[in-house]
Amino acid sequence: MADTKAAEMKVKVVKEPSLMTGAVPTRDWWDVEAIFKPGNYCYPAKKSIAEYHGKNLPGLFGEPRDWEIESDDWQLPENWKEIIINGIKERLDKFRSLKIFMDCCVRCGACADKCHFFLGTGDPKNMPVLRAELFRSVYRNDFTTAGRILGEIAGARPMTFKVLKEWFMYFYQCTECRRCSVFCPYGIDTAEVTMMGRELLHLVGVNTNWILEPAANSNRTGNHLGLQPHTFKENAEFLIDDIEDATGVRLQNLNFNRKGAEVLFIIPSADVFADPGIFTFMGYIMLFEHIGLDYTISTYASEGGNFGLFTHNSLMKKLNAKMYAEAKRLGVKWILGGECGHMWRVIHQYMNTMNGPADFLEMPKSPITGTVFDNAAATKMVHISEFTADLIHHGKLKIDKSRNDNQIVTFHDSCNTARGMGLMEEPRYILNSVCNNFHEMPENTIRDKTFCCGSGTGLNTGEIMDLRMRAGLPRANAVKYVAERHGVNMLSCVCAIDRATLLALNQYWNPEVQVCGVSELVGNALIMEGEKERETDLRGEPLPGMEG
Amino acid sequence: MPQLTYAGGSVEIDDQGYLVNLADWNEDVAQAVATREGMDQLDEAMLEVIRFLRSYYQKFNAFPILNYVCKNIHQPRNCVSDEFINPEKAWKIAGLPKMEGFHFISTDGRHYVMEAPS
Repeated sequence: MADTKAAEMKVKVVKEPSLMTGAVPTRDWWDVEAIFKPGNYCYPAKKSIAEYHGKNLPGLFGEPRDWEIESDDWQLPENWKEIIINGIKERLDKFRSLKIFMDCCVRCGACADKCHFFLGTGDPKNMPVLRAELFRSVYRNDFTTAGRILGEIAGARPMTFKVLKEWFMYFYQCTECRRCSVFCPYGIDTAEVTMMGRELLHLVGVNTNWILEPAANSNRTGNHLGLQPHTFKENAEFLIDDIEDATGVRLQNLNFNRKGAEVLFIIPSADVFADPGIFTFMGYIMLFEHIGLDYTISTYASEGGNFGLFTHNSLMKKLNAKMYAEAKRLGVKWILGGECGHMWRVIHQYMNTMNGPADFLEMPKSPITGTVFDNAAATKMVHISEFTADLIHHGKLKIDKSRNDNQIVTFHDSCNTARGMGLMEEPRYILNSVCNNFHEMPENTIRDKTFCCGSGTGLNTGEIMDLRMRAGLPRANAVKYVAERHGVNMLSCVCAIDRATLLALNQYWNPEVQVCGVSELVGNALIMEGEKERETDLRGEPLPGMEG
Repeated sequence: MPQLTYAGGSVEIDDQGYLVNLADWNEDVAQAVATREGMDQLDEAMLEVIRFLRSYYQKFNAFPILNYVCKNIHQPRNCVSDEFINPEKAWKIAGLPKMEGFHFISTDGRHYVMEAPS
């Protein structure tokens, strides 16, 4: 059958068993052990960090200890298997989706080659079907009649240390991007399987520092980086100086923790900390000044991102609760959110049931255009791209597109905003309104079929660079395509993790392509009242015609 | 703990070369850390960066926006990267504790980009 198709498509098909090594597999997949070596795993959480979480949410983060992943002794509690099996039972009862996803896969394989981790590593256990099977095999063994009686014949296997190692390896080689679920005829959401897998691992204290430390910072200080209120404010205010350098205009409206503001604005904290997020932040506050928005920024709810999502739903809920708590304290009418990925996944899919209903807030209504965002009726939170696109649509912004003429732009849909909340048209509408040169990447790599940056869900740590460059290859490949075909030199996005990780990814695969937030390009194009002749963009680079 | 010897004595460093005690720092120590990092003599422009990082840290307990540093000491926009290649190196030479939760990474050894969890 395969040969007929190959002949029809005029392609050659390799018939040897393995494309990577030519080796013939002689063992079942579950006989192949996960072997940890430097570069293929994230470092475990420091004892002090695990302790911190354990105090806040007792029982969910295991026994704090110093342990090594390459060791054969992870110093697990004696009853760790029982904890996992009970954890599975509890989740099967609580989350109907998990039960369905465990039962309904027919192993058709439609998902297999849709995963960026599989495409980049060639490791069969990164096929979403097999990743879920790591979990499902244990489920069968303990929770299905066929599995209990027939064991291996029914694809069941007991929970062992070997299985646990496999879970740690492959649930941390999944970015919960959900591309596979788009292609699954049953709509199985492998991201949720990964989430459950990670929750169970956390229960027995198997974790990563890159996720737990920012989560601890966020709980304690308000944001992932642990920026204290005066530092957060100083950083944001410094960016006003940079805006003044570029435009000659000194913004007057930036303010913090102001009671009675109409809108609370929440950003991913990297936007006041790291390149190129800081340029995105400049774009936000220039826009607000341009339209005279009555807004405030909180130094308490100073993080849009939520690393709790990558650990346990209780921690996610706790971190997310700050948004409504602060909105209530400040007495705002509704909340506007910045360019962040998983922040919107949490808001759009979980916030209302976790911490809502926010009946103390009003239905979001743009004070400039009068547009009512009834799509946000449940959460009372509007995405900056929705807000901006509406302003442009009503002709409320003075724009000089030509200032972005040095940029040949393409757009990377962030997994979470595209697949998690359906935000696909608005950023494109904005880009087409503020840039003259915009080119789409190939159809199968954008919108709901977008390829992940390869480093989401808390995987953007330095110790797994090789894995990250592999996982990001499909995305980078699509960028290369438009770079070669259209001369694209700017990859825009609406996600803070993307703004960090795509930079490294491009440095490796497409060194000529820069990364920016959509709002940065808006800021470049905005004609501010009282501005001087603009000579540079927000990065201090000469505008078209101003070189030399 | 490893020791780092410098013109005026020796100080404790950790296995990644970070100074263990913030108060042990002086400009001779800075030079010794820099040498250990494979750098030549620190010049005045570099020392300005280093001193500024220390005063910023004392006030804000954080890593600064890089252009904030350059602007405050009246140096060109990319001064930290131009002088130290990896900005984390400047931080280390300034005798400040390793910052957790973000890092600078490079895939070519020449350009370092900051990555923060967000």
